[in-house]
Amino acid sequence: MAHHEGAHGVADGHAHWDTSVWPFVISFGILALVIAFSLHFVYHQDFASVLTLGLGLIMIVSGVAGWTSEAMGKGDGMSYSAMGWFILAEAMIFVAMFVTYWYLRLNTDVWPPAGSVDLPKAMPLMMTFVLVSSSLTIHYAEHLLHQGNRGGYVNWLMATIVLGFCFLGMSAYEWSHLMHEGFNIGTNLLGTVFFSITGLHGSHVVVGLAIFLAGLVSALRGNVDEGFARTAGLYWHFVDIIWFFVVSQVYYW
Amino acid sequence: MNLKEWIFTTDHKRVGVLYLIGSIAAFAVAGILALLMRAELSTVGPTITANPTNYNVWLYGHGAMMILGFQIPALTGFFANYCIPLMIGAKDVAFPRVNALSVWLFYVGIILALLTFVMPDPPDVMWTGYPPYSTITTGNTAMYTFTVLILGFASIIGGVNFLTTVAYMRAPGLTWNKLNIFVWCTLGAFVLQLIFVPVLGTAVTLISLDKYLGTHFFDPTQGGDVLTYQNLFWFYSHPAVYVIFLPFIGVIYEIVATFSRNRVFNYKMVVYGGVFGVVALSGEVWVHHLYVSGMADWLRIGQMITTLMISVPVGLLVIGLVGTLYKGSISFETPMLYALGVLFLFLIGGLTGIPLAVTSLTVHLARTYYVVGHFHYVMAVAGTFAIFAGVYYWFPKVTGRMYNEFWGKVGFWITFIGTNLVFWTMMDIGVKGMPRRYYDYSHFSQFEGAHQLMTLGAVILGVGFVIAVLNWIIGAARGPKAPDNPWNSNSLEWSTVSPPPHGNWPVPPSVGADWYPYGAAKK
Repeated sequence: MAHHEGAHGVADGHAHWDTSVWPFVISFGILALVIAFSLHFVYHQDFASVLTLGLGLIMIVSGVAGWTSEAMGKGDGMSYSAMGWFILAEAMIFVAMFVTYWYLRLNTDVWPPAGSVDLPKAMPLMMTFVLVSSSLTIHYAEHLLHQGNRGGYVNWLMATIVLGFCFLGMSAYEWSHLMHEGFNIGTNLLGTVFFSITGLHGSHVVVGLAIFLAGLVSALRGNVDEGFARTAGLYWHFVDIIWFFVVSQVYYW
Repeated sequence: MNLKEWIFTTDHKRVGVLYLIGSIAAFAVAGILALLMRAELSTVGPTITANPTNYNVWLYGHGAMMILGFQIPALTGFFANYCIPLMIGAKDVAFPRVNALSVWLFYVGIILALLTFVMPDPPDVMWTGYPPYSTITTGNTAMYTFTVLILGFASIIGGVNFLTTVAYMRAPGLTWNKLNIFVWCTLGAFVLQLIFVPVLGTAVTLISLDKYLGTHFFDPTQGGDVLTYQNLFWFYSHPAVYVIFLPFIGVIYEIVATFSRNRVFNYKMVVYGGVFGVVALSGEVWVHHLYVSGMADWLRIGQMITTLMISVPVGLLVIGLVGTLYKGSISFETPMLYALGVLFLFLIGGLTGIPLAVTSLTVHLARTYYVVGHFHYVMAVAGTFAIFAGVYYWFPKVTGRMYNEFWGKVGFWITFIGTNLVFWTMMDIGVKGMPRRYYDYSHFSQFEGAHQLMTLGAVILGVGFVIAVLNWIIGAARGPKAPDNPWNSNSLEWSTVSPPPHGNWPVPPSVGADWYPYGAAKK
């Protein structure tokens, strides 16, 4: 809830209305990112693009930081079910991606198309192990927090974050390995599908980690919110479940 | 007036007013673009520009701004924000900061759309962005992609916010079966947004991936398929029609019930049959936009049947309105005139849609002005009239002042006449073979007179809209003070003072077992 809660003071005949600058800052940070994209890819103004990109990132990061420190711990406990609705929307992105993939693949005569390499089989299993472990660690962290053990919560949250970064590192290693073999996003339809689906999933891992980091920074400053922890955990489980579809449909089919 | 408390506001009413200002601005720009197109088409051959690309950019701007910048934000931004917390007796939405984020993301979307007028190589992909053209044009397709993504994200977080708000923040005693019809309709629209916007987001992202990162989703030489895009796009964009339709019919329910001084006819049929039925069927009809794009007959026939079926829940919603009018004690203030105008326009739009649903007739009618006339009646004009009806209806609540009733009615009649001149003529020449989207119709010069009639009609309806907007501006600044409940409505938003203070009520309201949002107000 907003931060002047209940304070409808009528001092100097003027009631206070709640405000927050951070949504405004984040929105215009996103505008800067969009302009940076166009400057680079459409108008080829790389220097201006990098400047705008930097400005946008600074605005977004400071906006998220400000928002977190302003609102953390002041929620009304409704974020968990709200995240359920948000996950419905997120899931539909993956539905659209996978349906596109199935449609294109089932309408192709030869699969994999010419120019493909063998996708790794062992690496995705290790990545699955890491991601499932991180789902368990965050669940345990929530369990400890529910029992009132804040120190244990912070430790297991950090373990989850480390596992998340391990996952991203393995993904980056795999990408660079494939690109080194000359297989990239524009090689053929398999490259297109592989890099865009794993990239889309990876971007969700990044968002999940960003949520965890915001919670961790708050927690280290002594501000722990159980509702936030459960909501962040729910998002992370969703990212984990989507990974099973990625492994089974992209790597192993 | 404290400007900082407006720009950085998290209050649902101020966020709503910001939505209204932005969407009326988008409406003005999109309307000017429509007039430019009508001016261009007033004679055969080049009229005010010799460059067909200009015409395409206007068409892009008109469609994108009207739907994404005006109708959806006005209905699910302004009305939802302003009315839902007041109607359910809440002091604000569940997540006020998220609400502020969605309105400012909406403004970022508007800014991006306006940038297209000054940037080199603006997007020229219409509002549909079909590949392969969108992936090979020199126009800035990325700007199209990001405008859609940002407005889409804004509406998703808005939907999450309102679904949570209504689920948890209703006043004590306000059960689900006592919600205003507008609240039910808007919840249905938000569920549609959550399910379908992400699919559109994916589709427009894939065209930018194809264009800028070299993927092959829509590249037939590599096994890609452009029809994939068309299916993903219309899988969202048909439900988008209901995202507009549901809230606007909800607004009309509020107005018709109030000015008929009557209960809503068959409330449960309207909600559980009409709203739920539209939500359930809306995702199974998109193929009717692609009847002539090339696809298997079993797909076309199947979706022809579902398209005809969705008339049933829509019909239930219309029957509910007519039943509410029946034996009501009707009066004809400006909001009611617009509301009855919607009923008329929607009826014409709905009935002219039935031939389009039938695959065999579509072969003749597709790609003609008939389609343009039909969807302007059923969605564009009916939706816009409903927005105007709603703004007039809640004007005393929002501003605490009254608009001018005489000029309100004058504006309505001028707009109504202009509208029918334009769009009836469109359907007429469409049946006779005039193709849509033509910049120069030299091969169809027999339609020049009709085009001039439509240009005249466009000017007339433009005048009507200007009168209405001026009426609001003057009313908000200098109108006489309005009472708290000028229309004698039972609904909760009228139970607080006008304009409501921060927090809405000094003491949060609760309702009794015999309370109902409609019917004659307390004797």
